[in-house]
Amino acid sequence: MSAKGNAKSSSMNRRAVLKAGGGLAAAAAMPPFSWAQSPKSGGTLLLSSGGDPPTFDMHQSATYLTEFVGSPCFSTLLRIDPNDIDKLVPDLAEKYEVSADGMAVTFHLRKNVEFHNGMPLTAEDVAFSLDRIRKPPKGIVSPRKGLLGNIKNVEAKDAHTVVVHLSAPQADFPFMVSNPFNVIVPKKVVEPLDASGQGMKRTMIGSGPFKLAQAVDGQIYELVRNDKYFGQKAYVEKIQMFPIRGEVERAAALQSGRIHGCFFFANESVLAGLRNNPKITALRRPTPTFINLIPNVTVKPFDDIRVRQALSLAIDRQAFIKTVGPLAGAFYHSYGLLTPGSPHNLDKAQMKQFAGYDTLPEVGGDIEANRKRAIELLKQAGVPKGFKLSLLARGDIPAFRDSSINLAAQFKLVGIDATVDIRDAGAFYTMETTGQFQCVAHSIAISGSLPDQILGEGYTSFGGRNYGNWKDDSIDMAFRAQSREADAAKRTQLIKDFQVKFLNTFYHINLAWVGYGAAHAKTLKGWNALNDLYANMQMDRVWLDV
Amino acid sequence: MARYLLQRLATGFVTLFGVALIVFLIMRVIPGDAAVMMTGAGSGVVTEAELQQVRQRLGIDRPLVVQFADWVGDIAALDFGTSLRTGSPVIEDIARRFPYTLQIIVLAMIIAVGVGVPAGVLSAWFAGTWVDRTLQTVTMIGLAAPSFWVGLLIILGLVYFFQWSAPLFWEPFWVSPIKSMSQLIWPAVAVGLRQLALIARMTRSIMREVLGEDYIRTARAKGLSERRVVFRHALWNGALPITTLIGFEIAALFGGLIVTETVFSVPGLGQYVVASILDRDYPAAQGIVLVLAGIVVLGNLTVDLLYGLLDPRTRLQGARA
Repeated sequence: MSAKGNAKSSSMNRRAVLKAGGGLAAAAAMPPFSWAQSPKSGGTLLLSSGGDPPTFDMHQSATYLTEFVGSPCFSTLLRIDPNDIDKLVPDLAEKYEVSADGMAVTFHLRKNVEFHNGMPLTAEDVAFSLDRIRKPPKGIVSPRKGLLGNIKNVEAKDAHTVVVHLSAPQADFPFMVSNPFNVIVPKKVVEPLDASGQGMKRTMIGSGPFKLAQAVDGQIYELVRNDKYFGQKAYVEKIQMFPIRGEVERAAALQSGRIHGCFFFANESVLAGLRNNPKITALRRPTPTFINLIPNVTVKPFDDIRVRQALSLAIDRQAFIKTVGPLAGAFYHSYGLLTPGSPHNLDKAQMKQFAGYDTLPEVGGDIEANRKRAIELLKQAGVPKGFKLSLLARGDIPAFRDSSINLAAQFKLVGIDATVDIRDAGAFYTMETTGQFQCVAHSIAISGSLPDQILGEGYTSFGGRNYGNWKDDSIDMAFRAQSREADAAKRTQLIKDFQVKFLNTFYHINLAWVGYGAAHAKTLKGWNALNDLYANMQMDRVWLDV
Repeated sequence: MARYLLQRLATGFVTLFGVALIVFLIMRVIPGDAAVMMTGAGSGVVTEAELQQVRQRLGIDRPLVVQFADWVGDIAALDFGTSLRTGSPVIEDIARRFPYTLQIIVLAMIIAVGVGVPAGVLSAWFAGTWVDRTLQTVTMIGLAAPSFWVGLLIILGLVYFFQWSAPLFWEPFWVSPIKSMSQLIWPAVAVGLRQLALIARMTRSIMREVLGEDYIRTARAKGLSERRVVFRHALWNGALPITTLIGFEIAALFGGLIVTETVFSVPGLGQYVVASILDRDYPAAQGIVLVLAGIVVLGNLTVDLLYGLLDPRTRLQGARA
């Protein structure tokens, strides 16, 4: 059966969506799936990730481990095109319209959709799900409520029409609502679970192409094809996912043919070993994850911008990327705060104006001169030579731990007596969120690469990643200004203005972007590794050539 | 004997209560609580008010004394609570994982005793010869090599030479005992190597001592064959400390397979301990530590009772006391 040209509806790329925000009605179209070979149906897809999902509740989860199991089982209103990260294609909504003033988005739902338990999916379920994300009930936690924070209210106009009223026009809104974690769940099932405080921790009832058959902690997560799926049926009959924690062990399982694919490779040497195997495709993609050094501005002397500048000047970013990258997830660099290659980023010449950022590759900075300036700035700020700086680090993830170790070594070169305080995840998060630290090197994973997602979550005082506890209304206002701008060119300029403004504050000192790896047997076909590696995990278009 | 047993059980009970108190306090003292881990507080937008709601729901905002009393009360009723991470009763999680760990230990000890004791005897018997020196070198390597490293070498070696890796789904023992045991051979080898080396060296040292005893000289003077002297007279009398060592090693292995289980992705108790502690899964962490402590207490008691069976002098001393 060919997947090519099955249906004709509209598709939206990111630029078209931006225009739609200005008032053009936009209809979504079907994805142009196309593979060189005809896909084959059947078989069991064997995959491995790095561990057990801590919860099945996609709305409450902030980890890819939940997404790996959840994405194939759930649907969203629109979804990222499996072939193009800049495009949206229909999922539960066959089309959508943006009002002329950009303040309302109307989603027209498909009429033949059933949840895995046989209940029909209606506009009530959509309204409930979006409300659950943006305003979670008592005892339920929603890490992505900020993504939908611009929603004023959600109206179930009729059984198959949902109108989302916004507080302000938002060009990125259709992409925000299409985040793979923002799935639609059955109100009648979930509401009582929420009332009991359990949420969907161990319940997975969605409307996706697969449904959960069994989940054995530490052993296996088995999904079977949902034959009542509203869209084109998945090719494989089953997906079995095995939580193998070690990268070497996952690689061994792939090499021996026990699994077809696996994710979460940080260490470059493991991936390099797999590349030598002619039966395996090993790849690495930048993910919307960046590493920032975050000073706690509520603690002296980090409230002084000169000290923060000095820290930035002390870092040889190119050396950092080359040294830590191969251990912690092959680092990339970006000229600005957005993903590498983003059209909204700044250019090399502009980066020179921010203290220390001229040591990014190809910008031509002089690290020795920078470090002399750092020493001078520390002196001016009254920071004594041998000042003791403790870098809080999470011990179980190389991107946190090895980054901190490298930074501590670099800070010693400007007379700061830096040490690394390595903690386990529980202690780390508690100390970080309660401000019990001086500086932290945090690998920040954002579930999406849009400006509203990265800047909103990562670089506003209200966005959730403000571990340094800074407060700056001008930054927040600059963020909102770009978010509301409908004109694409004007918006790009506003996004650049925002970055210039933020980079001059040194609230966060941006170091690198992370690229995680994935590898699969060449018999696994149809999985396209997008630039956000985990944006395409529904696995319905994947097939086995065996 | 009955009085001795009761005494030992009472001591074991006090020990377990102490372990319960310590593990309860440690889990509460270390930074980071269950609510932080359950909500992924560091990975998104979670307010202190939301965390507090979760703490209320879990009951971990109550005074420590109340929480401890509740937990001990539940344990007394054999209710270990529900895991915050898996959502299953802790006792079910433990019961599901226990056989895998037990199988690895049994297989590892079969390898360790089956090879280690004869190797130690041979080493002592041929002390100073090339046989002894070879065995000493091999056992030294076995002692020095960490089991996780041996495990990784096994995994990589099997993939490199045979394109074979450990299974992904570990068959439960009660479904297919032979398949289950055969799947766990390699983790058992990784663990057993160190135990083998330890037992071999201990056996050698004891046998060297015993073989110099007067009664051995007498046995030889009586004209008994060397084999009979070594195996019937020397080894039997040297078996006591070896048995003690085996008993202690078995008990220690129940909590000591963490890394090996992780390397081979075996869903045993070791992985459960680590995941429970890292996720601040209080009921699971407290429950599993208590169970492991119970196993150690029972293991020690069993070894002490075996002493009496193996050494009549111990029985006599017990009777006199």
